[in-house]
Amino acid sequence: MVSLLTGALGLAVAGLIVWLVRKDRLHVNHGFGWVIAAAAFALLGFAPSIIDVVAGWLAVSYPPVLALTLAIVVLVIKMLLMDIERSKLEMRNQRLTQRVAMLEAEIRQLSEHGSCKVQEKETPHDEEDTGSTF
Amino acid sequence: MVKRQAANALPSNPVVLIPAFNEEGVVGRVIASVRAVCPYPVIVIDDASTDGTRTEAESAGALVLPLVANLGAWGATQTGIRYALKHGFDLAISLDADGQHDPSQINSVAAPVLNGLAHVSIGAYPERGSRARQVAWILLRAVSGIRLEDLTSGFRAYGFDAMRELASWRATYLDFQDVGVLSLLMDKGLRVMDVAVTMRKRENGHSRIFRTWLAVGYYMCHTVLLGVTKRRIRRYRGMLPSVSTSVLSETTTASNSPAR
Repeated sequence: MVSLLTGALGLAVAGLIVWLVRKDRLHVNHGFGWVIAAAAFALLGFAPSIIDVVAGWLAVSYPPVLALTLAIVVLVIKMLLMDIERSKLEMRNQRLTQRVAMLEAEIRQLSEHGSCKVQEKETPHDEEDTGSTF
Repeated sequence: MVKRQAANALPSNPVVLIPAFNEEGVVGRVIASVRAVCPYPVIVIDDASTDGTRTEAESAGALVLPLVANLGAWGATQTGIRYALKHGFDLAISLDADGQHDPSQINSVAAPVLNGLAHVSIGAYPERGSRARQVAWILLRAVSGIRLEDLTSGFRAYGFDAMRELASWRATYLDFQDVGVLSLLMDKGLRVMDVAVTMRKRENGHSRIFRTWLAVGYYMCHTVLLGVTKRRIRRYRGMLPSVSTSVLSETTTASNSPAR
């Protein structure tokens, strides 16, 4: 009964993720990882003996500990990936903020003087930027 | 991409960058002092001030880059460096808007870069720090392996190569202009030099880093971790012994080997 319940829960989560991707509420890149997690959840729910077999291979005397440890590891990795993504977003946000300030100053210069003249001898060249940063 | 300038060219097109946050009472005087002692264009980066900093800076004749969100002193300085690169400047001199840095010493600070002795020079006045700040500097020097006198001074001159490195997205990840920025520069083999200067007491407000003990704690944890993680196993190639302004004046005419 418990296995049916956890298995059904896993399938429900997988269904929810598919629905979120269909409705453009969740980017497919993130949805992929969650679908795998939900599928693993459903599989282990319907067939919990899998974890017993794996625990036996790894000589873990109490199989639920293995399941919990694996879950914690997956969660920690996910949190780390989220912080990496967040760092990237913060960096992009900061560069956009900088770019807006630069453009605002240039627009103001153009409207006042007809050119972006801030020095006597101007040799404009593009600023170095890497990849998709601004 | 930025066009690389001639390999042996010395900087010829300087600009003064002043990051400012709520400095309406001082920024105008600072700009006027700069304009009185050097002919370089002055750019004020208004770090989302809530007072009249922008108006004051514009009235004093500076070009203002108005940030829509507060990015901190380093984020503001990087904005100025990006703008300066885009508009053809090849030497960026940064100084604080709170009146701490004496504009009459701009030429002394910029001299090592102008002479080709260093890619970056830092106006150093280690005596300004309280005992707690001195301890913090000792700790930061120990963990980062950077042996410069004044790690946190914002009175600096950046040459073209340094500007290019500091305009990159990698430098945007940094929150402060001390250990992270210096490690990045030295890791690229750029030469950094202390120049002894004197500083005044800031006319307005207080340090944005050392304002509360909580902020100090955050700053120290952040910077110590950065110093440890960015530390190089071997000694930095780019560190040069500090010099006094008198030594610099002697080398001004003697030097003919540009740093870049």
